[in-house]
Amino acid sequence: MSVLILVLAIILAVMSLTQKNTVPAVIAFVLMMFLLGIYYIFMGEKLLGLFQIFVYTGGIVVLTLFGVTVIGSKFPKYEIRPWAVSIVTLVIIGLLIVPFLLPDIPYEGKAIPLKDQVKIFTDFYAEIAIFMGVVAASILYGSIRMLHTLKHGKE
Amino acid sequence: MVGFYIDAIAAIILFGVGLYGVTSKSDFLKIFFSLEMLLNAVILFLASAAYHFGLTRGLAIAYVIIVIATLEAAAGVLIFILANRITGEIIPDHLDKAVSDE
Repeated sequence: MSVLILVLAIILAVMSLTQKNTVPAVIAFVLMMFLLGIYYIFMGEKLLGLFQIFVYTGGIVVLTLFGVTVIGSKFPKYEIRPWAVSIVTLVIIGLLIVPFLLPDIPYEGKAIPLKDQVKIFTDFYAEIAIFMGVVAASILYGSIRMLHTLKHGKE
Repeated sequence: MVGFYIDAIAAIILFGVGLYGVTSKSDFLKIFFSLEMLLNAVILFLASAAYHFGLTRGLAIAYVIIVIATLEAAAGVLIFILANRITGEIIPDHLDKAVSDE
């Protein structure tokens, strides 16, 4: 059952990128997110699954439908970038090899104690400072870039 | 353990589909879909790790990722509408060209 849901989700993900019309692409995207939400609920993570369904099939899809009203019923034509396929193939092969290179996981079938789990933002304030610095820098860059674009757009 | 590998492989394939969309597609809506797929691949991996190994801290990160995805969607639609107002199109490459032409 879980394999079927995951395979369907991947097929819908591919469909949402390959459709030439906008509405079927959005429908495929919605169904993919809904299936992932259902899968999380099957896994026992009910809150995550409901969060996924509410946020993605509710909020984000309404935003994309608003985008569809701007585009119209068909996607514009674009130039295909052939190097993208080679990059993606390399990344996927790299990511698929990594799990098989790892040694056996010692906590198979039982919960990892909290003290052995990866600690993020709990021990060192420097981590929070670095994270906030990255966020602030990206917001600053985006704002400057947007102001520049707006200025040239108005002239 | 097999279940974790199935989830991990599905997450990696979903990540690959999203990465292909980000690098090859040239209109805002499909890039936006692809970015959501990248984030969802990470959420799927973290949820699977939480289910199979009890990695509860990963779940907390998954919730944060969903919140970030929502914010990113709102910002993305704003940029999308702005680009459409400036160039009359939804292709990011043309936005850069329109700015440099002026």
